[in-house]
Amino acid sequence: MADYFQEMGWQPLSEGQAPNHLLHFARLFRDYNIFDESLTQSLAPPASKSVVENLPSITINGQGVKCPVCLKEHSEGETVKKMPCNHTFHAECILPWLAKTNSCPLCRFELATDDEDYEAFRKEKIRAKAREADIEILHNSMFS
Amino acid sequence: MANIAAQRIRREFKEVIKSEEVAKCAIKVELLNDSYTELKGEITGPPDTAYEGGTFVLEIKVPETYPFNPPKVRFITKIWHPNISSVTGAICLDILKDQWAAAMTLRTVLLSLQALLSAAEPDDPQDAVVAKQFKENIEMFQMTARHWTNVYAGGPHVNKECDDKIKRLVDMGVEEHQARVALSSYNWDIERATEQLFS
Ligand SMILES: [Zn+2]
Ligand SMILES: [Zn+2]
Repeated sequence: MADYFQEMGWQPLSEGQAPNHLLHFARLFRDYNIFDESLTQSLAPPASKSVVENLPSITINGQGVKCPVCLKEHSEGETVKKMPCNHTFHAECILPWLAKTNSCPLCRFELATDDEDYEAFRKEKIRAKAREADIEILHNSMFS
Repeated sequence: MANIAAQRIRREFKEVIKSEEVAKCAIKVELLNDSYTELKGEITGPPDTAYEGGTFVLEIKVPETYPFNPPKVRFITKIWHPNISSVTGAICLDILKDQWAAAMTLRTVLLSLQALLSAAEPDDPQDAVVAKQFKENIEMFQMTARHWTNVYAGGPHVNKECDDKIKRLVDMGVEEHQARVALSSYNWDIERATEQLFS
């Protein structure tokens, strides 16, 4: 039984713990191959506080790069925040956005959130994509 | 208005004015007041669609929290489209709601709306009557959308039969737009439209 849970990346409910319905729906949809994008379309939660606090600051070297939020060009020597996707923003431009939702305003690269339900849901989404890809590879190898 | 919103619009304004779409007359933005909170947008109907040849005017309201929240946009020009209310001009488009991102601009909004005219999403409708017609009778939908483009957006004239049916209802004392809505909603069946109008 433990192997089954491990393999699926699930955890058995502990004493007195209620099931996570959102997660169960995600699994249900995945298992029936009807993972619906529209379910994921409500606004994603804010970025995790610790991830935001740890966003590196860099000093601008050179010219011609604009902050995608205010559209002002960064000036030489200015200190800005850098996202993992390498996009750079003024702190006062990116912080209010990440307090609202977890993705890069330019490329939608997603930062981790502090929302457990959302994180579980996102994991299921990635798993569903991987499974789709697996099925396609299997299908192609069978029919080509 | 919050400084960041006004400054942003001012910068964007220059960007849109200089963009190649403006040069091609595909999109246009105009300021309606000095505080940059209200603008008028314009898009042309995409070629090879029922909206071809039409010019569609949009109301754009910029919130204080822009660009952290999307602008509020609706069609002023009446239009027959599954994702746009034929009554209020309200738009169902994800980027104007939960898929907005702070790096999007008025230019990307106008281009997305133009794309929406090329590719309707009837499964996510704003106007249920139009969406139903789109799914059940695409030719009827095309004809109706073309007719609306002709009458309200200055597009080419296409179908005299539509005009004649509207005229018959107008002669019976029905207001012209009301007659057009009733006929459009009932696949140009004049008897059913009349029944609905006089019931
Ligand atoms: Zn900025
Ligand atoms: Zn990015």
